[in-house]
Amino acid sequence: MTRYLLRRLNLFLATSLVLILVLFVATSRFPVEHKFALTGIHSPTPEQVAQITADYRLDEGNLSQFTAYLQQRLSGNLGVSATSNQPVFDELVQVLPASFELAGVAAILALLCGIPLGVLASLSKNKITQHSIMAITLTGYSIPVFWLGLTLSLWFGVELGWLPISGQINLLYEIEPVTGFLLIDTLLSDSQYRMSAFTDAVLHIILPAITLAVLPFTVVVRITRTAMLSIMEETYIKAAAARGLQTSKIVIRHALPNALIPVLKNMGLMLGAFSSYAMVVEVIFAWPGVGAWLVSGIYQRDYTVIQGGILSVALIIIFLSILIEVMHTAINPISRKEMYATS
Amino acid sequence: MPLLDIRNLTIELDTPHGRVKALERVSLTLNPGEVHGLMGESGSGRSLLAKAILGIGGHNWKITADRMMWNGENLMDMSTKQRRSLMGSEIAMIFQDPISSLDPAKSVGSQIIEAMPDNPDIPWWRRGQDKKLNAKKWLHKVGIKNPKKVMGSFAWELSDGICQKVMIAIAVANQPKLLIADEPTNSMELRTQAQIFRLLSKLNQLHNVSILLISHELDTLSRWSDRLSVMYCGQIMESGITAEVIETPYHPYTRALLDNIPDHSNPEYHKMMMETLPGSAPALQHLPIGCRLGPRCPEAQKRCVAQPLLCRKKNREFACHFPYHEEPCYDDTATKS
Repeated sequence: MTRYLLRRLNLFLATSLVLILVLFVATSRFPVEHKFALTGIHSPTPEQVAQITADYRLDEGNLSQFTAYLQQRLSGNLGVSATSNQPVFDELVQVLPASFELAGVAAILALLCGIPLGVLASLSKNKITQHSIMAITLTGYSIPVFWLGLTLSLWFGVELGWLPISGQINLLYEIEPVTGFLLIDTLLSDSQYRMSAFTDAVLHIILPAITLAVLPFTVVVRITRTAMLSIMEETYIKAAAARGLQTSKIVIRHALPNALIPVLKNMGLMLGAFSSYAMVVEVIFAWPGVGAWLVSGIYQRDYTVIQGGILSVALIIIFLSILIEVMHTAINPISRKEMYATS
Repeated sequence: MPLLDIRNLTIELDTPHGRVKALERVSLTLNPGEVHGLMGESGSGRSLLAKAILGIGGHNWKITADRMMWNGENLMDMSTKQRRSLMGSEIAMIFQDPISSLDPAKSVGSQIIEAMPDNPDIPWWRRGQDKKLNAKKWLHKVGIKNPKKVMGSFAWELSDGICQKVMIAIAVANQPKLLIADEPTNSMELRTQAQIFRLLSKLNQLHNVSILLISHELDTLSRWSDRLSVMYCGQIMESGITAEVIETPYHPYTRALLDNIPDHSNPEYHKMMMETLPGSAPALQHLPIGCRLGPRCPEAQKRCVAQPLLCRKKNREFACHFPYHEEPCYDDTATKS
């Protein structure tokens, strides 16, 4: 197991290194002054120029420049944003939790609705139930997320007026950031309006979370269904039935744990698509997360923000997909069997 | 009263080629405390019969029977729930592929414990511990030397033999009256086979468990079973006390099986043609009408296109119009197949 973990860690480090290399090359190709692309300082003073040259070793060879770049970026120096003159790192720390909050709520929503529905679709003998569930998931799978987001906000936000359609919370509430997750912060704050602030935050998250959850939800339903269909034909399910267990017990204790393994695996594969969907959703609903921040950085040609955003998002995706793979191995005894065979 | 009494059980399968009778008018009587061998080639419907007894058929099965009596109750009239509870407590089954009949994602121990009944005399907070002890005891009883280690492992970490022993432990932990063993030693080495069979016969003798032993090996069955039923292509050919059936087979199929056992005492045997019945067992979608052995039977005549009913004489049953050593029963020939 230790060897396996070391190999995964190695994979993470190697992928990250390649990612930073790509960023490094791209930065030198940006159609602006190289020093500006690296630091975001528009018109540096002579001292700053000397400092930048020393920091990034601009008068040395490519390899040396790359190590200097690596050193700077890994120590948290992502430059300053050209538009706001704030350090990019500080801005990143502010916007990341909002994205995590949205993604987390959407993922929980997708799993909580998707798994039971998938099980239902696989166990139901009624053709109408099966086909309607499959039709719903296929529709959800094929709806473009920007259209869905706009339509939902048009219906529920504008025409019916039930839910707010932009932002994370009403601007009237002043919430002291503690964890950065607004749903938790509102509960932690000692203001007398904290319950109403919490409700407001919940209302704000409903529409973007639903929009973002649709795609993973449909995938979860379909994968759970196919996995359950094949597992219910396995001998151990028949054997469990022959032992006199009730069908519900068989499903919960034997079929579902085995069916969730492919679901977990596919969650890992879906991370990339999920995060790009998250960016679109954040832009549509003006959610103050990393996606909206990155997109506005692109519009404003804010090269340090672009670098910082891409670096952080890509690192998170790499880390999470490796984490999911490790989790997949840890909780799934069958994959350990494969490790027996290979190593 | 027989423990299990099946009369004219027919299983029809819906296949892409239409509906086929995989099992046709099968009758089986199993007395309490006996080891009943069910002999048949693969594909002859032995496993279907076992699954039909347990009621875990597939979704494309259609089961009809004159009666299927379990201890005086008709299994056909029971609801799924009643049958499930019966299966847990009175009928148990072990499968031919033990590793794949254990859940790969759960430890073996948790699966044994799951199958154990609650003991109502013990307060609920100690029941878990009690079950664990019981599970260890049963594993020990079926001949596993380090029960604790086995309970903590997963099915795919264990060998076939140990897994089959675990399956037997799970099956007998509820003290069932009937144990259906569907090729329990398939693809196992000889020594493990012998262990499993010894274990089964010990269970039969010590705990009075009736066993329906399904196999394709006539010599195994002749050694371990008290009564024997011979099946061919979904029809019962002959049944009776094992020794008698082997001594004087009435049915041409049984006779052919016995005649075709290789004789290794003759040094020239390995250069001779192996004797078999002409042809091969028909596929499910091309079943002959009447007696299904008909086209291959050395004694077949015109009458054989009508299925002979099982005829009971002198504690033996056979389904043939032209049996050896015995007159057929003329009175109850089936008119339709």
